[in-house]
Amino acid sequence: MSTVRKFRAPNRLSMLVRANGGVTAKEALAAADAALEPLRAESLAVLDAALAEIDARFGRSAAATRAAGVFEDLYALALRIIDVSGFLPGSCVDQAAVSFCALVDNCAEAGAWRWDAVDVHINALRLLRTADLGPDQRRAVIEGLNKVSQRRIDEA
Amino acid sequence: MREPLQAATRINLEKVDVLLVDDSLPSLNLLAQVLLGFGIKNLTRAESAKAAQAMLRERTFDLVVSATNMAGVDGYELVKWQRRGALEANRYLPVILVSGHTPPSQVFKGRDAGANFTIAKPITPKIVLERILWAAKEDRQFVECDSYLGPDRRFKNDGPPAGVKGRRREDPPEALRPPGAVAAQAGLDLEKVKS
Repeated sequence: MSTVRKFRAPNRLSMLVRANGGVTAKEALAAADAALEPLRAESLAVLDAALAEIDARFGRSAAATRAAGVFEDLYALALRIIDVSGFLPGSCVDQAAVSFCALVDNCAEAGAWRWDAVDVHINALRLLRTADLGPDQRRAVIEGLNKVSQRRIDEA
Repeated sequence: MREPLQAATRINLEKVDVLLVDDSLPSLNLLAQVLLGFGIKNLTRAESAKAAQAMLRERTFDLVVSATNMAGVDGYELVKWQRRGALEANRYLPVILVSGHTPPSQVFKGRDAGANFTIAKPITPKIVLERILWAAKEDRQFVECDSYLGPDRRFKNDGPPAGVKGRRREDPPEALRPPGAVAAQAGLDLEKVKS
């Protein structure tokens, strides 16, 4: 059995945050929101570009060539959507992209693509991004995607 | 139980040295803007875990915020390395990981990496600030053994499962454990326990 040592580690962060001055959490959050705003258009452009690249490389239009695609590439593109989807709160685009990641991870583990499921995710992402859907409709789309990707709800 | 963020809580991050690591430039920029908005003046960006390792060998920081999903060395491997291979002053730093998706095959790797907290992307300023405050108020001890070095992975101590003696000196005897915890751990029906 290995030896286990428990100890208190120094935490400089703890001392620094308590220094005089600073701002309230409310002020800090307002300043962070303001600082993010200039990145909104750029981030949504990144999201749309990632979606377009997914469609071009892994969508139905690439049916003749997509089987040669690399799992890691599609996974990275779906992650890129998650990265910037905070600018679309309530849209469920982030959850659709998480389900897409789970699907691609499952495909990679199995060593085989499930193109019907890939197509469903691409269509759903487009729908959630562009259509005027209510919260219940968006939730229904995500529930359907999670079933398709066999994503466990407790997955991060 | 950790406290949720209160609007009136005062926080001073001006002198906090933060290392921010992400190989996704859009994500790196978003996180950087949030941290700068919080008033952090000393923010160092690393566009890969390798670059972060070089920095953690050279100078000291007060907080590391790192993505998990990175090509090559990922965020989990970075933290695991940091706990043993960085400058002595950087080994016990609070680390907040930021994850877009965690494949089931990576769950144990994440648990065993040695980070303080993990945040799910897409990030929101509220959650990032809350976790920074949690990291500042971290009261868990560090645990070091052959296979792990990092904050105690138990956030609360309800003791080992019912019928198990437990491995830790501080494990409460079964009689002192919360009834809910004992029942839940034993997979018992709570209603039957009550009656």
